[in-house]
Amino acid sequence: MEGMTHLAVAYFGMLLAIALWTWTVVQRSRRLDARLDALEAAQRGPPEQIGEKTDD
Amino acid sequence: MKPGETLLFLGFGGIGATLLLALLWAPSVSLEAFESPAAQRIFYWHVPAAWAAFIAFGALFIGSAGWLFRRSEQMWRLHVAGSEAGLACGLMAVWSGCVWGAAEWGTPWDWTDVRLNTFGLLTLLSIYVVLGRGSQPDGVETRDTFAAFGLYGFVLVPVTYIATRIWTIRHPGPVVGTGDDGSINGDMSLVLLLGAISFTVFIVGHIMASMRLTALEQRLERLQTSTDGGE
Repeated sequence: MEGMTHLAVAYFGMLLAIALWTWTVVQRSRRLDARLDALEAAQRGPPEQIGEKTDD
Repeated sequence: MKPGETLLFLGFGGIGATLLLALLWAPSVSLEAFESPAAQRIFYWHVPAAWAAFIAFGALFIGSAGWLFRRSEQMWRLHVAGSEAGLACGLMAVWSGCVWGAAEWGTPWDWTDVRLNTFGLLTLLSIYVVLGRGSQPDGVETRDTFAAFGLYGFVLVPVTYIATRIWTIRHPGPVVGTGDDGSINGDMSLVLLLGAISFTVFIVGHIMASMRLTALEQRLERLQTSTDGGE
């Protein structure tokens, strides 16, 4: 029984490790998407500015 | 949710189910055949993790060759994803192997065993590629250097694969793909198969997600450069 308890702890530790790894990848992806959206929006600028530039 | 992330979560669910079945359902091995029968169940993690590591090292090899010979950005992303996935799966296989070795052999590592040492070298290679690439500025020379390591390091994969078929020192010989019925029963094979499929889905999902991450990072860098240049 002691062996099975150790095994269960080892399994849980390994599952936790890959859960953290998966979470890190997903969070990195979300953060990068958000930064890209913000940067692209900043480059486009507000609609009125675009209009002013076109008029010039 | 992106396709890579969907596969990651599906694979993770499958791995969780595999471990649950391995713990509660898979039959126990003979008490006479093993020093530590409970620890033998770590095999349901160890073998699929090593299998996933081989897939990742295969991706690293293809990505490295694609970068060196075709200068393809897509192939460079595959190199990056393959090295990271190879590192993670390599560490999972090495760590679980050490846990089993400590319980079964009384020592976590055997420096005379070919399989252990070639697989350990592969994992070290992926550590070197991942950490080395992170410490260098991105450029053609850096990419060429690490792609060369990815390309030539792959020679260790077939050596590792055949090691226990040629030199059975301490690591057990193959239990599947031996040409006969193998040494595991039907229920054990089923859990092992579920583990192998789950790890394959998980690692493919990770490679896809990681390739997308690298593409996003490159796009972000280009945008930042153009923004800085425009100011």
